[in-house]
Amino acid sequence: MKLAVVVQRYGADINGGAELHARYIAERMARHAEVEVLTTCARDYITWKNEWPAGEERINGVRVRRFAVSKPRDPRDFGLRSQVVFDRPHSVADELAWLESEGPTSPDLVRHVARTEAEVDFFVFFSYRYYHSWHGIRAVPGKAVLVPTAERDPAAGVSIFGPVFRGARALMFNSFEERALIEGVSGRTGPGVVVGVGSEVPDQPQPGRFRRKFDVKRPFAIYVGRIDENKGCRELFDYFGRYAAMNPRGLDLVLVGSKVLDVPSHPRIRYVGFLPDEDKFDAIAASDVLVMPSRYESLSMVALEAWALGRPVLANGHCDVLRGQVIRGNGGLYYESFEEFAEALYALEGAGPIGGPFGRNGREFFRRHYAWPVIERKYLDMFDRLKREPASGRIDPIPGWMARRRRDCRPAAAVVGAVKAGPVVH
Amino acid sequence: MADFHVRSDSVDVEQIMGQIRTRIREKRGADYTEAELQHLASVKLEKFLDSRGVRSTLVEAFRKTRVASPEPASYEFTDETLFESPRPWLRRVRRWLAPILRLFINPDRVSAALRVQKEVNADFHRRFRAREEMDPLYYEVVHNLVLEITRLGIDVQNLKMRVESLSSRLDFDERRGRSLEGLVERRGSENVRPAEPGPRGPDVVRYGNGPRVTEGQGHGAPAGAVASGPLASVAAPQGSGLTPQEGRPDDRDRRRRRRRRRRRPGQNLASMPGAPQNAVGGAHSTGDGRGQTGGAVPASDDVDGSDDGSEGNGDEPEDTHQ
Repeated sequence: MKLAVVVQRYGADINGGAELHARYIAERMARHAEVEVLTTCARDYITWKNEWPAGEERINGVRVRRFAVSKPRDPRDFGLRSQVVFDRPHSVADELAWLESEGPTSPDLVRHVARTEAEVDFFVFFSYRYYHSWHGIRAVPGKAVLVPTAERDPAAGVSIFGPVFRGARALMFNSFEERALIEGVSGRTGPGVVVGVGSEVPDQPQPGRFRRKFDVKRPFAIYVGRIDENKGCRELFDYFGRYAAMNPRGLDLVLVGSKVLDVPSHPRIRYVGFLPDEDKFDAIAASDVLVMPSRYESLSMVALEAWALGRPVLANGHCDVLRGQVIRGNGGLYYESFEEFAEALYALEGAGPIGGPFGRNGREFFRRHYAWPVIERKYLDMFDRLKREPASGRIDPIPGWMARRRRDCRPAAAVVGAVKAGPVVH
Repeated sequence: MADFHVRSDSVDVEQIMGQIRTRIREKRGADYTEAELQHLASVKLEKFLDSRGVRSTLVEAFRKTRVASPEPASYEFTDETLFESPRPWLRRVRRWLAPILRLFINPDRVSAALRVQKEVNADFHRRFRAREEMDPLYYEVVHNLVLEITRLGIDVQNLKMRVESLSSRLDFDERRGRSLEGLVERRGSENVRPAEPGPRGPDVVRYGNGPRVTEGQGHGAPAGAVASGPLASVAAPQGSGLTPQEGRPDDRDRRRRRRRRRRRPGQNLASMPGAPQNAVGGAHSTGDGRGQTGGAVPASDDVDGSDDGSEGNGDEPEDTHQ
């Protein structure tokens, strides 16, 4: 079997969610099939500037073929077009212009996908919202498997994605909430499975090593990820400051990751910077609880890693995906206000009665649903199923010149807003 | 694949979140979420009008009248107006034929009526304009009245909630005081008997904002000893055997005096030399009213209530994190 993983960026040093997800899947599926990664020369997801040379290379044993981005993104233009598409009635032409502006615009990549359709069994596209996925799936709908990595943001309601969601052979969802969202906005009924992604978690992490190395003595909650307002960190700092004032003997907060937002100077907040995997896992193992303050996540890999290490998770309850995962896994608590944050953090302290059971539940949840053998099996089962079933290979055509310019598309935010929200609890 | 049910016998997310929310509601004294409070803080005054029994269109109605009405079309009318024309020859012909017209109708009466109408129009417009100039003032008055009524309504609500909260706190403090006094009495009278240590293992664990309560609370440990924080009143219900024990007032006073003597300013019993690390009630006395330990069970060497002052009374908890 020959697979092509198509993703917007790819590299061993890229730690973005969808890109890391793609790399993990490519490297894991390479054990079962011939895998080639098709990607762009971009490293920066804001501008898509070509930073790597076009051509072939190997990363961790997987062949990677890079194509140049024809024009970098103009963030201002993209912002204005986003306002039109998300918040106002608009036309299909507006949406196509928005997609072009979003990028990464790489016609060479799309042409290569179309040209190699006969040689490849399946193309696994990552991230529905980018240029490469939309054009790539339209080029090879009969062999397209999409990993949408969709969050509950207005982009999911852009009407041009409906035919792509419906036309792809199969969708590999990260969560039940993501599936409900995509089926809600597109009316898709075809093959799909909730898969997610696994993680390489060490069997024997060394929490004592982390404590010694960074001189951490008190019990602490940990946040791992980009320290960014978009990830809910400002709210986290606010809530934690108030919690610390109320609980002089409560947990400290340790932050791990690259810093976009300034970390407030607080005696109980400790920033240890971006850590290699070994230190990161030691840190999580040393913590009492992992905090996930983000409101927009399609899947939190770090939450899964915390569960794999037997640590409970305190998630932002405004994020349906995280809340659903916490409820389904019975592996932590969630909060929607400061009061809930403080109470839940207190409840999850390692010295308390419920942090341990939640951690054990989380570990079991991870083992049963997110261990690599389970993930690989789900992908392979899906490919087998698609091989057996006939492919229609059809996708709704783009409207004609006149129809494209008719302003009859609803604001994307309204489309998403009309889809039922909330965690999916079975 | 198997479904996503991974349930433990001892913990359940929704159940614990329910407990947390209940506790927050009890603390706050009103059933407002933070989001609702934010909304109330940012909402425009007009939104309150309906709820306060004021006509919902009142503001709109006032706003409409604030646009000054235009002057009505004015005209001049004399006896000659009926025969006027822009063409001079036609004007002349009409004048020649006027006597013939007067044979059929009386145009002078028509002219007089239209002159009066013109004056009536002018007078009406004057009065109407004067009224319009007063409207903004009325609007301001009504607006301010509604504003004040709304503020007063909110203040009343807030005060009601505060009274309720203070009342429940007072009630709790009274019960706590009674429980502690009763405990002191009982322990004093039990000093002659050997203490029976309660079970140490937390057989049943219940999450709580106050102390983490173990099964021992109901048996070996006095419930009143662990009551702390605004929500711990459930741990010391009235009539649960915690009412003050009958005792001799002289003994009680003596013990109280002795205890006060030993509590010198800036020092409490737990900080005195020789105070135990795990004292009775150690779970209830953090600054925020939260217990840090599962310390509802008294230390076996302190089970007699530590009334002698040398063993602490649990006013300072031990931090189990360190």
